[in-house]
This record gives sequence, C-alpha cells and structure tokens, in this order.
Amino acid sequence: MMRPLFNRLLSGMGAILVTIVVSFFLIHLAPGDPVTTFIDPGMSVADIDRVRQNLGLDRPLYEQLWRWTAHVLQGNWGISATTHQPVTTVLTDRLIPTLILTVSTLGCILVLTLILGVISAYAAGSWVDRGIAMMTTLGLAIPSFWLGILLIGWVSVRWNLLPASGYADPLLPVGSWEWTASIAQHLALPLLTGTLGGLAMLTRYYRHGIRKEMGSLYLLAAQARGLPRHRVLAHALKNASLPLVTLLGMELPGLLAGSYMIESVFAWPGLGQLGVTAAFSRDYPVLMGILMLSTLLIVLGNGVSDVLGRWVDPRVRRSS
Amino acid sequence: MALLGGDDSNRGNGALYELYLSFTMDVPIKKRRWSPIVIGLVAMVVSGCMSRSSQHTQHVLRLRLAGEPSVLNPLLITDTGSSAVASQVFSGLVRFNEQFQLVPDLATHWVISDGGKRLTFYLRRDVKWHDGHPFTSRDVIFTFQTLLNPRTNTVRRSDYMVKGQPIQFAAPDPYTVVVTLSQPFAPLLYRMGMEIIPAHLLEGKDINTDPFNRHPIGTGPFQFDSWQPNQFVKLKAYAHYHGGKPRLKTVLFRIIPEYNVAKSALIKGDIDLLEGVSPLDVPALSRRPTLRVVTYDEWLYSYMGFNLKNPHLSNPLVRRAMVHAVDRDLLIKAVLFGYGRVAHVPISPLSWAYPKPITPLSYDPKKAISLLEQAGYVRRKDGWFYHQNRRLALTVLVSKGGKAGPKNAEIIQRYFKMVGIQLTIQQLEWQAFLKVVTGPSDPKPFDLCLLSWSLSPDPDAYSIWHSSQYPKGFNFVGYHNPQVDQLIEAGRLVNDQASRQRIYHQAFRLIAQDTPYLFLYYPRTITAVNRRLTGLSHPGPAGLLVTIETVGAP
Repeated sequence: MMRPLFNRLLSGMGAILVTIVVSFFLIHLAPGDPVTTFIDPGMSVADIDRVRQNLGLDRPLYEQLWRWTAHVLQGNWGISATTHQPVTTVLTDRLIPTLILTVSTLGCILVLTLILGVISAYAAGSWVDRGIAMMTTLGLAIPSFWLGILLIGWVSVRWNLLPASGYADPLLPVGSWEWTASIAQHLALPLLTGTLGGLAMLTRYYRHGIRKEMGSLYLLAAQARGLPRHRVLAHALKNASLPLVTLLGMELPGLLAGSYMIESVFAWPGLGQLGVTAAFSRDYPVLMGILMLSTLLIVLGNGVSDVLGRWVDPRVRRSS
Repeated sequence: MALLGGDDSNRGNGALYELYLSFTMDVPIKKRRWSPIVIGLVAMVVSGCMSRSSQHTQHVLRLRLAGEPSVLNPLLITDTGSSAVASQVFSGLVRFNEQFQLVPDLATHWVISDGGKRLTFYLRRDVKWHDGHPFTSRDVIFTFQTLLNPRTNTVRRSDYMVKGQPIQFAAPDPYTVVVTLSQPFAPLLYRMGMEIIPAHLLEGKDINTDPFNRHPIGTGPFQFDSWQPNQFVKLKAYAHYHGGKPRLKTVLFRIIPEYNVAKSALIKGDIDLLEGVSPLDVPALSRRPTLRVVTYDEWLYSYMGFNLKNPHLSNPLVRRAMVHAVDRDLLIKAVLFGYGRVAHVPISPLSWAYPKPITPLSYDPKKAISLLEQAGYVRRKDGWFYHQNRRLALTVLVSKGGKAGPKNAEIIQRYFKMVGIQLTIQQLEWQAFLKVVTGPSDPKPFDLCLLSWSLSPDPDAYSIWHSSQYPKGFNFVGYHNPQVDQLIEAGRLVNDQASRQRIYHQAFRLIAQDTPYLFLYYPRTITAVNRRLTGLSHPGPAGLLVTIETVGAP
C-alpha cells in the first residue's frame, strides 16, 4: 500500500519541477516585462532601466529562475512586480471569493446533473428528455460573457432584483450578517451564469452513463426477475456515478483557477481575474505563484481521484 | 402596502411596482389570492436591501476604476487607477485649477529668483497629516530626496535632474523650501505638484515595499479607510483638510473591469460617474432622466508615425502626400462618431503653447498624387506607385488592445489605395508592439505605427522630439531637426511663459512642416454623470472632480 503512494509522490514532485521550469521560461519568452507595461513619454529611459535593474529584471534568465526557486524553497513566493505585495498575500486574498463562486457553481451543477440526468435517462427519447438536452446545450452554446451581460441588463437593471456586479456592498461592515447576505445576493447572477454554462456536459455524461448501465446484462436479468423499474434505475445510478467522481477530481484545479470570463463580467474579485491581469502586466512573481498553485492542485487532484477511485471501486483496489 | 404606492423618487420601488403589475396580470384568477402575498414577501426582502442602500448612499460619491490600483504611494504610481485614488489622499506644493493654471496647495506662494535657478516655496502652517502629525518642510525634503534615491523604484527621478545632476532641495526653516538648480529648468514648476509623503512614517523604511503603500496617510481632502482587493477602495472625508472640510462623507472607488457592466451600474445608480463612455451609448444615456452627459478635450492626440529611416518615408514629399491622401474629418466621423477634431501639430489645443493660426494640410487626393509624381514615383498599370522598380508598399503596426487603432488602420488603408499606396496592417499585442517600436535597434523594424500620445500640461517636448531620444527613447520615428533641438532646449531654460510660448509656437510649426507624423485627431472624452451630484467642476481634461471638496451627493 505504501509503495504506490511513494511512487505517486515522487512522480508528482517531478511533474511540478518540470512544469515550473518550462513555464518560467515560457512566460519570459513573451515580449516585454513588468516595466514596459507602464512606460509613457514622460519617463526617461534612464529611469526605466534603473527600475528594471532594481527589480532584478536585467539579470540572465537562469539566474532569475535560480533566485526564485531558492526563495520558494524557503517559503517566500516573492513580491508582486506591480503591487509590491507578497505573492502569498495576493493569492490568499483572491482565494476565498474564487472558492465561494466555484464551489457553489460546482455544487449547483452537481445537484442539477443528478436530477436532470436521472429524469432524461428515465424518460429517454420523450419531449422532456429532448427539452432538457436542448436547454442544457443552449446554456453551453451561449458565451458566458454575453449571458452575464444579458442577465445584468434584465435582472439587475431592468427589474432591479439583484446587484449588477461586485462581491459585497462596500458600505456594509465586513463580517456582519448583512454583509454575508450581500455576498449571497451578489453571488446569484454569476452562479446562475456559471451553472447554465457548465450543466450540459455533466448532464449528458450522466444520462449516457445511466442508459449504458440500464442496457447491461445484469440489469436486464434484474428486470427479467420482475424488479420494478425504479429499483433497476437505483442500481444503475450508483454505478453510473463512478465516472463522475473521476471527473470531479479533474475539476479541482479548474475550481481554483476560477473563470476569468465570469469573474470579469461580474467584477468578482477572484483568482481568474488576477491571473489574466498578471499575464497582461507581465507580473512574473504572481504568474509563477498562480502556476505553482494550479500545478500543485492538478497533481493533488489526480492523486485524490486515484485514491477515491480505489476506495469506491473494489476492482481497482484489488488489481494493484 | 405602502411601497406599492409608488414613490417616484425611488427607482427601486418604481421597478417593483411594474413587476407587481405584470405578475398580477399574468397569473390565472384561481391563484390570484396567493400571488400578492408571495410577491409582497419578495418585495419586502428586496426592498429591505434597496431602501437602505438609497439612504446610505447619501453623501457618498461612487466612482469606477477599470482596474485594480497597484500602489497608493504617489512616488511609485504608474497607473491611472492608483493616481485617481492617491490624488484625493495626498496633496502637493502646487496644483492645477479648472483652467489648468498652477495654484498654491501646500505652499502659500513661491518666488523664482537668481535668473530662474532658485525657487523658494513658503508652506502653509495649518496643515496636519491624517494621523494628526503636523506637516513641515521636513516632509517636502524627504519626498524629493526619496524620489532622487536610485534605490526607489520610481520612474519620476529624471524629472528632478538637470544635466545629469540632481536638483538640490533644502529647508532653512520648518515652513520654507529652497530649490536650487545648476541652470534654469522651466518644466520643474509643474513637477512641483508631486504629492508629498510623510517623513515621520516612512523615514528609514523600505519605500518600495512598506505597508504604507497600501494604507496611505496624506494631507489631502480624503483619508484612506479600506481597500478590498479587486472590489473597492474606500476613502472618508478629512475634517481638518486645509482647503476646507469636504461636503462628501465617503468616496468609494469600485473596481469594475467590464465597460458594459460599468454602464449598467451607472444606469442602475450603483456608480455616480463613468468616464470614457462610448459614443454609441450617448443617445441612450442622455435620455435617462437621472443622467447628464458631458464631453471635453484631453491632453491627448492620435497619430500615425512615419519611420524616417525608411527609404520611402525619408522623403518629405511622400510623407506630405500621405497626409493629403486621408480625409481626417471623415475618419473622425467613422471612428469617433464625430467626438474629436483634426490634429495638425503635436500639442493639444488646450495648451497655451498651441500655435495659432496654422496652415493645415487638408484632404486633397489629387495633390497627393502630384506630390508622389514630383518625388519621382511612377504609377503603373496595377494601380500602385513605384520608385525605381520598388513598389510603394508599407506596413502599419497597430496595437490589438485599442478600439480605435484597427479601425483607423483600415480606413487609412482604403484612402492610401485610392492614391496608389499599398498599406498592410499588422496587429500586435501591446507588449510586442512596444518591443518593436521602443527597442534599441537602429533602424527600427517598422514602417508606420498607429499610436496616441497623452501629454503633460507643460509643453516641454524633449522626450518625443529631441534627436538625443533616438534610438533609445520615445523619438522612435528618428526625427532630427537641429533647429527644433535648439528650440526645445531653449524652452527649458526660460521661465517666462510669453517667451516660452514664442519658442514652442515656432518649434511645433517646424515639426508640423516636417510631417514626421500623420497627425490624426484630438479625441473628446465623454463622461456620464448622475444628476444628484452637485458642485462639480467645469468639464475639462482633469475631469469633473478638480475641486472634490465642493462636490456634494445629497
């Protein structure tokens, strides 16, 4: 039992190392650096060069990589090149809003998938099934930024039911009950947008899984023995859920990367927005921090889904 | 139910009233008994949040930032978002008024002596930092010494250097600051508007990373309250502000990256002011009874730069032909929907240095063709002009990010085609664009580039037009005119505005004659503002909040 785990750990470390070295060089290959993002004719070349030197950007790349790695190993993820804040602070500031949005979106998708998947599998081929397929595919086909603006225009501006954008009412004291309620209000529209966009794939997947199980021989036998249809379906559900566990494990890094589109449309202060802004302003330390975080999560996510797979499915456990 | 009575002044309830009507009309009669109760409950929950919000926005000014500010330390700021916030928290020795004249701020007055080599500033004695500590000349000296320290990550250090030597700042007493230069340097007075930071909080600290940069303490009309990353920055009124207690209680900068969402927030009443409104939205926003739309000029012009080292473009006749080939009035109609005017010189018409009158190169395709022929170009059967078997074919660089750039390029391409000049458009990401244009190579690998310059109110044109600023610097077109060099240098040496005016008029006329750029236009900024605001300044390049202490939001 210990040996495969150790192997996993070792290959995981290798993957992290390779990803970091490759991405470090890749992001430096893009033209420009944090200093070129803000130059204007009022600045002199001497000033720009001096700031570049102060930030260590004039050093050879391998030296910059070495310095960065040495700092990270000491637990120091560096200082953002634009805000001069520690990268760990920058990341943790954005983590909670992103988690609130992505976890609740995933929760909604999951609940709706279970309900809609069962309904459409049970009523396969009927108008209900086709209706669900059409609606979920429509959700997938509509770009989230457009849907978001549409929702803001109707629900927020026209009917004045929900706030248009943001995270919480800035005039409420942080941590108060009203503030929490305000976050929930602000969450509604981005949550709806994200759920509509993410529903189609999982629902179709689940419906297909159930249909496949329903057609299998052991369930045919159960049906032949006279088991009622809902009991047969219950068996199918359990087995069809297994692939969902794997899919969810793979969703873990996506959870933290957040959705750039939804976050920027609704001005939601999460990691997705941070990543894209950092890329445009060539904020290398923050970019590397985000890359590290997501690499760690991919490795962790794969590990977790592996362990879960073993735990859920006895066949995998026995074969190793 | 009182709230269905419809108080027109409250948009929230009005909207709910509409909702109520549409619901009751759609609901079948059998269920009708229930629906008002359900809707009433929903209405109570929603209005509970809304009616309170309309009360607590009293005396609160809500502005929009398109991006997260980076640092709130005026010495380190490089982005407009941060400076919008910092300008309310800090003050400088001098500041601009609505007419863009320099007026006293932390200084009561100043004296220029020794032929412009000595500036003496007399400071106000009644100013206190937001933490109660008195403001003195020590803070001024500290600010400029920190700026001049090479370890400070500021891009403004050279602004306070003359001939490679730092300017001397001295404080003979707590309320006097003496600035000594090795030679007169006219642009310095404008630069004395640099916002002052507190010595008692920052002395001996690492200015680049100190927590102060996110929790600033200044002497401005508003003091820092809180900053939630990517959500908002909140400032509250500073009761002891030396310019008088502000009428507002709070200024809130909300960070809304997406323009359309910011527009919705404005319509909904979640923000009070939106700068940079798209011309397409002007009719719809003007119709809103709560909003007012204003337009004004900025210190900004757009142009197409000619790489003067290019064999085709080094010929002034070819450049003039290109200027005559483009109908810029039509371009402004098509790209800016009329919100702008044609530019002919490299300075904003807002400036006292704008030369009047000027002889414009107007749209004249026939003249363009004759100028090309005069330059030895021959138009062949394929429609293009050739010079010794080399087709007059050029590439224009455009930044992908901008809205106007690609449109300008396409229109210019059409106009050029009509007079036999072939133009290819190459779009680049902004960073890649800068690398080509400002890279150190000579000659630079581009033919033409579409850009805008945002200028400072001082007409000093050294960084853009002086020949020493090529190949490293912003004179990337490689402009070199010894007479202009001389004038630009002279313009820095005299302090008297009338003499400077003569110098710059001549310099800008000469540059316009040499046509190193195809000057396109001065775009007008469109701003929409909620009518509830009072005491706004006259619309101008500094926006509507020049004297923010008089702005009210009843």
